[in-house]
Amino acid sequence: MTPRFDELIHAPTRLSLVSLLAATDWAEFKFLRDSLAMSDSALSKQLTTLEEAGYVEIRKSFIAKRPRTSVKLTAPGHEAFAGHVAALQEIVARAGLAVLPDQVG
Amino acid sequence: MDIPPTDAEFALAEVQARREQVVDTNLVPTWFWPSVGGLMLLFVGAMETGVSWVMAVGTIVYTLGLAAVILAVVRKARVQVRFELLGARGIGAILGFAAVLVVIGVGLGFGLEALSVPFPALLATLPVSVGLTVGGPALMSYLRRLMLSRPLAGSR
Repeated sequence: MTPRFDELIHAPTRLSLVSLLAATDWAEFKFLRDSLAMSDSALSKQLTTLEEAGYVEIRKSFIAKRPRTSVKLTAPGHEAFAGHVAALQEIVARAGLAVLPDQVG
Repeated sequence: MDIPPTDAEFALAEVQARREQVVDTNLVPTWFWPSVGGLMLLFVGAMETGVSWVMAVGTIVYTLGLAAVILAVVRKARVQVRFELLGARGIGAILGFAAVLVVIGVGLGFGLEALSVPFPALLATLPVSVGLTVGGPALMSYLRRLMLSRPLAGSR
């Protein structure tokens, strides 16, 4: 993976949001909102920004007549996140600081 | 754009912490295992009595109980962990755990029956229930370690 610092992802809230999504196949809007302790509108705004960049896909559905919004990171989103993490690891490694374990047996 | 190395380190720690949050949300809760083990014992015990009404009640309690337990776990799941984090090793561990319990249960059951021991199925289910109660959380602990040890990001 080529390191590529992504300013869109690096914004504090979006980094947390994308990090959650990167560990999931999909996540419910409520899960993201509660995990990040954000308001509905603040989260919607961040998701819209990421959606416009093509990084996330938002799906709305009804389960037992209740609306449910699910979010997933798209392939370009995963790619951008991987490049961003690689860039962060490169910065840390260059400074001789401890890089988080990349692969543990 | 370049940022201070300490900021990058904090950012990586945040990425790891968020993964941990997702993984912990996805793990089957500890109470699930003794609940399933207990229900299995109850069901098998009821079947082995051979008494119709006990068998009927046992079946109903087992079916409703299992449905409630599974429903509670499913309702808690508001996020689906990325399959790649579990990987072949994770799937292997789950299947291996299930296979060991099945082999113990079936093997012991037939063995006890061959020896004409009373209530062979119930006695065979006992170690399976203990295995679920002890092994279930241990399996979850292993899967947690495995998922957290995967690279922070990578190709899909």
